[in-house]
Amino acid sequence: MSDFDDKLARHISALSKEKQPERVLWRGIELGITSAQNPASNDDVSPSTVTSRQWIAIAASVCLVTVLWFAAPFAFKADESRSDGYALINAMSVQQQQQVNSLLASYQSTPALTQDWQEQLKELDDAADVIKAALKDDPDNSALIKMLHHVYQQQIALIERVHAPKWQQI
Amino acid sequence: MEHTQQRVVHANVVFGNKSEHELICKTKEGDKQAFRTLYDDHIGRVYALCYRLTGEKGMAEDASQEVFIQLWKKIANFDGQSQFSTWLHSVTANIAISYMRKQKGWVQRMFNLENSGINEMPAEENSTDVDLEALIIRLPERARMVFVLHALEGYRHEDIAKMLNMAVGSSKAQFFRAKQLLKEFMGVDDE
Repeated sequence: MSDFDDKLARHISALSKEKQPERVLWRGIELGITSAQNPASNDDVSPSTVTSRQWIAIAASVCLVTVLWFAAPFAFKADESRSDGYALINAMSVQQQQQVNSLLASYQSTPALTQDWQEQLKELDDAADVIKAALKDDPDNSALIKMLHHVYQQQIALIERVHAPKWQQI
Repeated sequence: MEHTQQRVVHANVVFGNKSEHELICKTKEGDKQAFRTLYDDHIGRVYALCYRLTGEKGMAEDASQEVFIQLWKKIANFDGQSQFSTWLHSVTANIAISYMRKQKGWVQRMFNLENSGINEMPAEENSTDVDLEALIIRLPERARMVFVLHALEGYRHEDIAKMLNMAVGSSKAQFFRAKQLLKEFMGVDDE
């Protein structure tokens, strides 16, 4: 063992085994496990509880509608440009979905070259969702729009590549 | 005297394991409070491993959350044959790696990022006061992951190769590379 290996081993053994995160993580975990539990817990709810919850929900909805009725003109005015920007993103997504659907339909009878292409497509879908979530807060961010556009292009390229490889076209 | 001390330590370990065993049983029954205690007991080690593997605080925090959400769902799979902390560590390593794959896969494809960028920082003075953790974080991704799993967590190269989907030789090469870079970062000359 060299001197450096000795030195490294000493540093490694001195390295703390624990490190605390800066963010409070429990709340997110609790939310995650509660949503995982929900289907089961709904079964346990008695009919009377459901009725009282429904009343509460109706009351909350009425309050919300009332608040929105008065607040909407101001809120929408302030947010007009933002929602316009995001409407474009939505239109882009709808168009992409249509294009993907029509491509998939056209390749329905063509066997795919790889097995995991749908997984890859799903990954790209997830990526697009992440970018869209970011765009919701910042709809005019051109870098994010470019990214989304790029992901959509990758989706199309992926579908075409796995169904119509270049050697078939020659 | 020495014999008595050994017995005391042993009793502590047994007592600790017993209460942990109770917490695990309660968590398996859906007791969220027991799970919270397990979280408090283990978050430090889980986060440390996630941070060293991902090299990024935000990603490590997200991966740690994912670990505990998966733990809640999969704790029934823990059969008590091994130490809970050992089992949790292997669950953590696997979840952190797959989390990184999911997060980084599309970014790398999009921007064609080179997987081996080294954070440019001046080399440390050749002193005894070395912040090894900061140096590990500076390592390129694959070298860092192999180094953490092998040198810090004690995994064999054969296991690492399977976990990271690489050849055993690549794992060894990445480990060698990590050590060379650490040597460089620490300002140690080649012998």
